[in-house]
Amino acid sequence: MQWLRTMVRIRLFEQMLADLYKAGRLVGVVHLSIGQEATAVGVCSALKDGDQITSTHRGHHHMVARGLDPQKMFAEILGRAGGYCRGKGGSMHVSAPAQGAMGANGIVGGGIAHAVGLAFAAKRLGSGGISAAFFGDGAANQGVLFESLNLAALWQAPVLFVCENNGYTEFTPTDAVTAGESIAARAAPFGIPAVEVDGDDVVAVNRLAGEATARARSGRGPTFIECRTARWRGHHEGEESYAKPYREPPAAADPIDRLERVLRDAGLAADGLRAAMEAEEEAGLAAALAAAEAEPEPPPERALEDVFA
Amino acid sequence: MTSVSPSAPVKRLAPALAEGIATCMRTDPRVVVWGEDVRIGVMGPTRGLVDEFGSERVLDCPISEAAFVGAAIGAAAGGLRPVVDIMFSSFAYVAFDQFANQAGRLRYMTGGQVAIPLVIIGSAGAAGANAAQHSEVPSALFLAAGGLRVVFPSTPHQAFWLTRAAIESDDPVIVLHHPALAATRGSLEAEPLSLGDAVVEPVGRDVSVLATGLMAHRARAVAKRLAGEGMFVEVVDVCTLNPMPWNAIIASVTKTGRAVVVDEGRLTCSVASELAAGIGERAHDALRAPVRRLAVPDVPIPFAPNLEAAVVPSEEAIAAMVCEVARA
Ligand SMILES: Cc1ncc(C[n+]2csc(CCOP(=O)(O)OP(=O)(O)O)c2C)c(N)n1
Ligand SMILES: [Mg+2]
Repeated sequence: MQWLRTMVRIRLFEQMLADLYKAGRLVGVVHLSIGQEATAVGVCSALKDGDQITSTHRGHHHMVARGLDPQKMFAEILGRAGGYCRGKGGSMHVSAPAQGAMGANGIVGGGIAHAVGLAFAAKRLGSGGISAAFFGDGAANQGVLFESLNLAALWQAPVLFVCENNGYTEFTPTDAVTAGESIAARAAPFGIPAVEVDGDDVVAVNRLAGEATARARSGRGPTFIECRTARWRGHHEGEESYAKPYREPPAAADPIDRLERVLRDAGLAADGLRAAMEAEEEAGLAAALAAAEAEPEPPPERALEDVFA
Repeated sequence: MTSVSPSAPVKRLAPALAEGIATCMRTDPRVVVWGEDVRIGVMGPTRGLVDEFGSERVLDCPISEAAFVGAAIGAAAGGLRPVVDIMFSSFAYVAFDQFANQAGRLRYMTGGQVAIPLVIIGSAGAAGANAAQHSEVPSALFLAAGGLRVVFPSTPHQAFWLTRAAIESDDPVIVLHHPALAATRGSLEAEPLSLGDAVVEPVGRDVSVLATGLMAHRARAVAKRLAGEGMFVEVVDVCTLNPMPWNAIIASVTKTGRAVVVDEGRLTCSVASELAAGIGERAHDALRAPVRRLAVPDVPIPFAPNLEAAVVPSEEAIAAMVCEVARA
C-alpha cells in the first residue's frame, strides 16, 4: 500500500514539475522520471535506514522513494534557500546523504563508483549498511561501470547495480549505440549475479532487490539488476524546441495501474482508494510547492560557502 | 578588424560552427564527425550535418567519452580529420587522459612522427541554472595541459572561420562555444581568421579589456556604455587562446597603458592570470596601472540563478573595475 502511495507521489511530483516548466516557472533543465516509478520504489523499498543510494540526472523518483521531503526537493529544483543543497545543486543534483541519498549526478556514470566506495566503507566500518547505484542504459556504456563491477567483485562490496533501462540514451535508441545481447550480461564476466526484470512490475523489482540486499548484507557481494522500463516523456522538458520527433510513444503499461490491479486482485485495494490517495498526495504536494515557491532566493554570500571543510 | 559587408550571409553562432564544419566536409573527405547525438546536434554545432553528409560521416556514439575521444586520436593518427562534439566541454573531464596525456603529448613524445589533426568542440560557460557540472569554462585546464590549441569564438564570424582553421590545422584543437551565445546573430564576412588571431576594435585609448566568449560580449557592451561617458575602452577579444595572440594584446595595452582581464573561468590559475602575467612581463614599461583580473571566484558555478549571476562577472562588475583602473 505504501508502494502505491509513493508511486503516486512520484507521478504527481513530476507532473507538477512538467506543469511548472510549461508555465515558465522552472529554471534549468529537468529530466522527469514518469513511467519509471516502479524501479525506484521496488529497489528503495528493499533498503533500510542507513543504506545509501547514488542516482542520476533523472533522479527525482529515487529521492522521493528514499523518503525525501518534497518541499525541500521543490525548493532545490526552484533554486530557493531552503533546498536540500541550499540552492546550489538543482534538479540534477538533489542530495540528502543523511537520509541515505548520496545524490543525483549530472555526469552520466558519475555516481556508480561512489556506490562501490560507500559499500566498501559500510563493510569496513561494520555499519551493516549497503548501497545501490542507479544508472541508465546509456550510462552502461561508460567504462567506469566495468571498472566498478570489477572492483565491487574483488572487494565483495555490498552494492546493488541497478540499471534502469528505459530504451533511450538522450535522443538515440540505446540499441543503436549498445552492442551485445543485454546490459545485464555485462556483469556476468565479473562473476556478479545478474538478473533482468520487468522494471514496471514493482512487486518483481522488490523481490529481486530483496534477494540482492540479503546477499549483500550476508557478505556475498554485489548484484546487478537490469530493470526494463520506459521513459514516457522526452529526455528533458522543452526538448521539442530543437529535437524533431524521434521516438514512438512508449507501449508499456502504467506501472501504477499495474500495482493497483495487483492490490485489487488481492483484495487489498477498495474502490476509490487510489483516488483518495491521489487527492491526499496532491494536496500535500501543492502545499509543499507553495511553501517552496514562497521561500527566498539563497543569500548571495552562500555562493562562496561550502567549498572546503 | 573585420569590415561589415551587406552581402555577407547572416547566421547564428551555433549554425556558423556547423557551417564551418560543413565547408571543410565538402572539400575534404577525411573530415568525419562523431559524438553523442551529433545527428540531432544537441548543442547546435553538428545540427543538419547528417542530412548533407550521411550517417557514414556523422556518427552517433554511446556515452563513452574516453573511448570516442581516444578513437578520434587514433583516427587522426590514421589519416582522418575527426571532429568530435563532446557537448559540454566539462564532459572532457571523463576523458581527460585522452586530452592531456594523449592528444597533447603524442607529437612530442614520438619526436614529431605523429600528427593529431583532431578537433573537439564543446560548450563552455554558464547559461542559466545548469549547475556546476554543466556550466564551467575549462579553457585554462586545456591550456595548462599543453599540446592543445584552444579557440573560443564569440561571434558567428569567428565561429565559422576558427572552426575551419581548427579542422585545417595539423594539431589537436579545442573549439569552445558559449551556450548563452548559440543564438547570437552576425554576418560571416569574407575576411578569414586564423589560429593565433585576436579581434580588436581599435577605438580605445583609456583602458584595454581582454575577454573571450560571453565575457567579450559583456566587455563590448561596457565599452559602448562608457564611450557615452567619454571613456574609451578597447576590447581585445582573445578568441584564440593557444596560440596566444600576444602581439595584438601588447599593441593594445601599449597604447592604453591599462588593462583589465575578464574571465569566466575560476580566478586561480586562470586564463586571466596567464594574460595578466604575460602583459606584466611584456609591457611593463607601458603600464600606468597594475593589470587587474576579474574572474569567477574559486567556487563551482552554483545552481540558483541569483547565485550564478553573483559569481559570473557581470557588465556592472566589468564597468566598475574598468573605471577603477582608469582612475588608478
Ligand atoms: C559524461 C556525460 N556525458 C554526456 C552527458 C549528457 N547526457 C545527459 S543524460 C544523457 C543520456 C543518459 O542516458 P541514460 O543513462 O540511459 O539515462 P536516461 O536519460 O535514459 O535516464 C546524456 C548523454 C552527461 N551528462 N555526462
Ligand atoms: Mg536511458
